[in-house]
Amino acid sequence: MIPLPDQSLRNLSQRLLVSLLPEFGSEYAVSDAASLGLLMNALADELAEGIQRRLEDIEEMKVILAGCVTLEEERAIMAADITIYTMKSVNGRHDELTRLIIAWHEKSEAEDLLDVNEAIWRYLHRHAERHAITAVP
Amino acid sequence: MISLQEVSQAAEKFLGDRWQCPVQVTDIRKIFGGASRETYRLEVSVDGESRGLILRRDPPSSLIDTERELEFGAYARVYPTDIPVPEPLFLENDTSVMQQPFSIMAAIDDCMTDVAGLSTEQRDQLGREKYEILGRLASKDPLALGFAELMPVPRLEHCAAEQLAYWESVIIDDEIHPQPIARAAVRWLKRHMPPPAQKLSVVHGDYRTGNFLFNSAAQITGILDWEMCHLGDPLEDLAWSMDPLWRGDEVNLAGKLLADDEAIKTWEKASGLTCDPDAFRWWRIFVAVKAVAIWISSSEDFEKGQGKDTILALAGWVMTDRQNRILLSYLNGDKS
Repeated sequence: MIPLPDQSLRNLSQRLLVSLLPEFGSEYAVSDAASLGLLMNALADELAEGIQRRLEDIEEMKVILAGCVTLEEERAIMAADITIYTMKSVNGRHDELTRLIIAWHEKSEAEDLLDVNEAIWRYLHRHAERHAITAVP
Repeated sequence: MISLQEVSQAAEKFLGDRWQCPVQVTDIRKIFGGASRETYRLEVSVDGESRGLILRRDPPSSLIDTERELEFGAYARVYPTDIPVPEPLFLENDTSVMQQPFSIMAAIDDCMTDVAGLSTEQRDQLGREKYEILGRLASKDPLALGFAELMPVPRLEHCAAEQLAYWESVIIDDEIHPQPIARAAVRWLKRHMPPPAQKLSVVHGDYRTGNFLFNSAAQITGILDWEMCHLGDPLEDLAWSMDPLWRGDEVNLAGKLLADDEAIKTWEKASGLTCDPDAFRWWRIFVAVKAVAIWISSSEDFEKGQGKDTILALAGWVMTDRQNRILLSYLNGDKS
């Protein structure tokens, strides 16, 4: 069997919250376990969608930055590609481009580059919505 | 890790030495959510008389990296005033007693922190008292209370800049991933610095629903968690108390209790100060940045394994997500 890790985590979370938690004796353990269960659900969403969400961010950031970057160093960062699709590798690529976005956001404020500024704000809104954690009330 | 039994035994010995009489711990419970300190509720028998105590022990890592002396000192200076706080009893920095430093306070009986079950009238009453107390705290002279012995005394015109510099440095030092929203907010704050504080006040630093105790008559009996206490602009506490994060689904009620305009009016009347809307906007954006810094810090502790408490993971991940969206709603379309 190839397990579906996100579904497995949700099942484990349900087991913790529904079957085990009522058996816990102390108020502290109940509160801690309830938080653990909710975090496991959020992690399940992240397992299922996390890489795809980051790839969408990366594509959007590349489009914005393509119209901006001029320095050799910036171009080198832009030109790099993802070859391994682990979370760590995708996170690393996401971080590189996010640092460029921060630098250009600051530059757009200092130099009144309105189009760039607006494009980055729109991206930040979409990024926040894309990564919104809904599994924890 | 320290077991309940070890805490219990160490407390018995420590209290027996301090009070010079036999002390027996008859009940001990760990309280969930003490994000900056491990918190225990103890029932002790002192010379045959029963007494409730709260023991706060430093964990190897905490959500807020602060000095316990500062928190204990704040309790000691506020306790004699009309601001309700638990009575501070002992501060012990010797790690041989309980592996980590700890403090002990008198417990407050018949109390709760969760406002979920309150009626509309009770929430209104509690909300007014919450902002009256905050107003009274803002009106006090921190130097007369002895706070200068505990912490730096900023000039009125430096209160905002010093706080911003501190929390920006926390973000820079502790971020695991780059934070484009928080960085944009910090730049906005630097471009729009507020006027000097109207007066220097004791700023609680984490004044919100959940950080005070109230009794069954919906009266506040103790303001807790003074570990981020500092001297500064009193608008900071007002802004923190009204952050959307503390509202849950009650988006129109500051801290799930009182409408914003009523909260501000109550605070202004009790403090004798005014809440300038432009300055207040700055402080509301600032407190959201400060919150992001705290959540990022807890994330770093959790990911590096310095702290394993679930609350650190919850704060670091879920709260950062929520607070970033709050910042976006504040800064939406503001290109100034």
